[in-house]
Amino acid sequence: MTNSIVVTGAGGVGKTTVAAAVAVRSARAGKRTLVVTVDPARRLAGALGLELGSEPRQISGEPRLWGAMVDAASSWQAVARKHADPAVADRLIGSEFFLAASVHFPASQSYAAAEQAAGYMDEGSWDLVVVDTPPAAGGIEFFTAPSQMSDLVGGTLLRLLTGGRLPGRRFLFNRGAKPLLRFADQLLGSDLLERVAQFLMDLRTTYDGVRRRAEEIEGHFRRSFTVVVTTADPAPLAEAIRFFRELPSIASPPGLVVFNRSLPLRWATATPAPRTNLALAENLSRWGAEAQRQADAQAEFASHYQTPLATIPWVPQAPTDVDALANLIDLAENWIDLPG
Amino acid sequence: MSPPTQRLLIVSGKGGVGKSAVAAALAASAHRAGRSVLAIDVAGSGGLAAHFGIGSLAFAPRELRPGLHAMSIDRSKALIEYLQVQAGLPGILTLAPAARAFDALAGAAPGVREIVTLGKVLWETRSRRYDLVVADCLPTGQVTGLLRAPSTIAELVPTGRIRQQAEWMSDLLLDPVATQLVLVTLAEELPVVETEETLAYLLDEKLVGNHQIVANRVLPELRTAAAGSGEVAEAAALHRALYGEQQQWLERLPPDRTLPYLFGLLTPGEVAARLADSWAGP
Repeated sequence: MTNSIVVTGAGGVGKTTVAAAVAVRSARAGKRTLVVTVDPARRLAGALGLELGSEPRQISGEPRLWGAMVDAASSWQAVARKHADPAVADRLIGSEFFLAASVHFPASQSYAAAEQAAGYMDEGSWDLVVVDTPPAAGGIEFFTAPSQMSDLVGGTLLRLLTGGRLPGRRFLFNRGAKPLLRFADQLLGSDLLERVAQFLMDLRTTYDGVRRRAEEIEGHFRRSFTVVVTTADPAPLAEAIRFFRELPSIASPPGLVVFNRSLPLRWATATPAPRTNLALAENLSRWGAEAQRQADAQAEFASHYQTPLATIPWVPQAPTDVDALANLIDLAENWIDLPG
Repeated sequence: MSPPTQRLLIVSGKGGVGKSAVAAALAASAHRAGRSVLAIDVAGSGGLAAHFGIGSLAFAPRELRPGLHAMSIDRSKALIEYLQVQAGLPGILTLAPAARAFDALAGAAPGVREIVTLGKVLWETRSRRYDLVVADCLPTGQVTGLLRAPSTIAELVPTGRIRQQAEWMSDLLLDPVATQLVLVTLAEELPVVETEETLAYLLDEKLVGNHQIVANRVLPELRTAAAGSGEVAEAAALHRALYGEQQQWLERLPPDRTLPYLFGLLTPGEVAARLADSWAGP
């Protein structure tokens, strides 16, 4: 059975790095481990030897570590191919709305990532799959994407247009919608609606498949261990709190919170030796104030949530090789053993 | 240096770079210079309200101080306003169900939803009720879709009223005297790369006429070669390493303007005020 860890959090807090570090550590502890990542920093991709769109590939020098990168655009096409008849899939992929939907529908990248990651979990080739979530607005949408996707395909609009009848080649407008449709025609120009409707009817044929898959993916999320990465800054912290409020209804509640870029609290109370250079003394007092602010934010967080809380020190340069990634977790304080 | 002279500033940046703080600072600094300002939270994330030191913003603009107004875009209210005022929704349609249905349609027809949101920002600019409109916009990942909306509409919709509106919207967006895109970044790899890619795309597609890049949270240089000892030395080493790292990214993407890293405990309101000070400073 494949265990999974989903690493999530706001953008820019270093969650891709933490996901990679968790994977390296697990692999070195003897578990066959796959890390699935989305658009990592180039230096990190370089560290892992990854290329975009690649199938899982072994990381050189690490016999038990594999990496894969999600390519949202091609995964989205794979979804159409998997769940629609070949002719319909061709028409869908060729449609101007298809590309637009895959770019503009915010959940689509997340859904594609979730579907691909779930595929690796089903495959059974690994003991542990570590999933890094897309750097979307929040990260929570990664977990809601499957149900949003089946809603989209389920087609509020299509039901409205056709009154719920499954369409023949030429669809029938719902009588109740007619005044609206006349108005929409005026506003949007004629025939746009028909083109949209054709697209939606094609998309609708994938509904059963997508809904079933969405339920399976949600099942995976409920069995996964969730790690929330944050910094002590207000915006990422507010995002982290959302995971505690909203995640339990969708996936397993967070099992570990990681405060990245942590400063030592002793900087807050240290006094410079006599005759210390003035600029250096000022520098310590500035960073000491930062350290104090971080400690206060962590204490405030811990007073509300009892989840284990680990810290990773602020390292100026992102890790550029596998050893540096493994080392990151050795530097962490209050780290816990993760499943897998 | 004084703030930009345009009538519309569209502020965007990768998530987490402090774009709401910069948007609030730009609004505050233009207001101090005597201009009447409307600040709009386009994403409805609430970040802008916090940086003005208030709990939340509503769709109806609120006057925070004489001449400084702020609002947030509520998509369904913007849509109803759009359908009534701009699109001339016929009386035969009851409003809420029509808006719901139109929203569903807008979800499938690309560009329609965005044109309603962007349209609100552009209408407020065009109305000239304010000297300046500052839009705290979506993160860079989504702002391209927003700015592309008028051309998307023009491509997909051959006729119809919305198409005519898309044309003046494009014109206003591209007018370098009227509109500036402010891209906020940090001096770090991911924000710099994302800013470069976003800008290249927008320039390539001719979706923006005037822009500036603002690097936020830039560390000051430590003007001494001394090393110190104990915690003093540790803090100096971290500072120098981070400073060196930042300078590399600033060289790669030279900003038009840098804003300082603010140390210690500050409320979002204080952050915006300090950034506004530094904007007005030398």
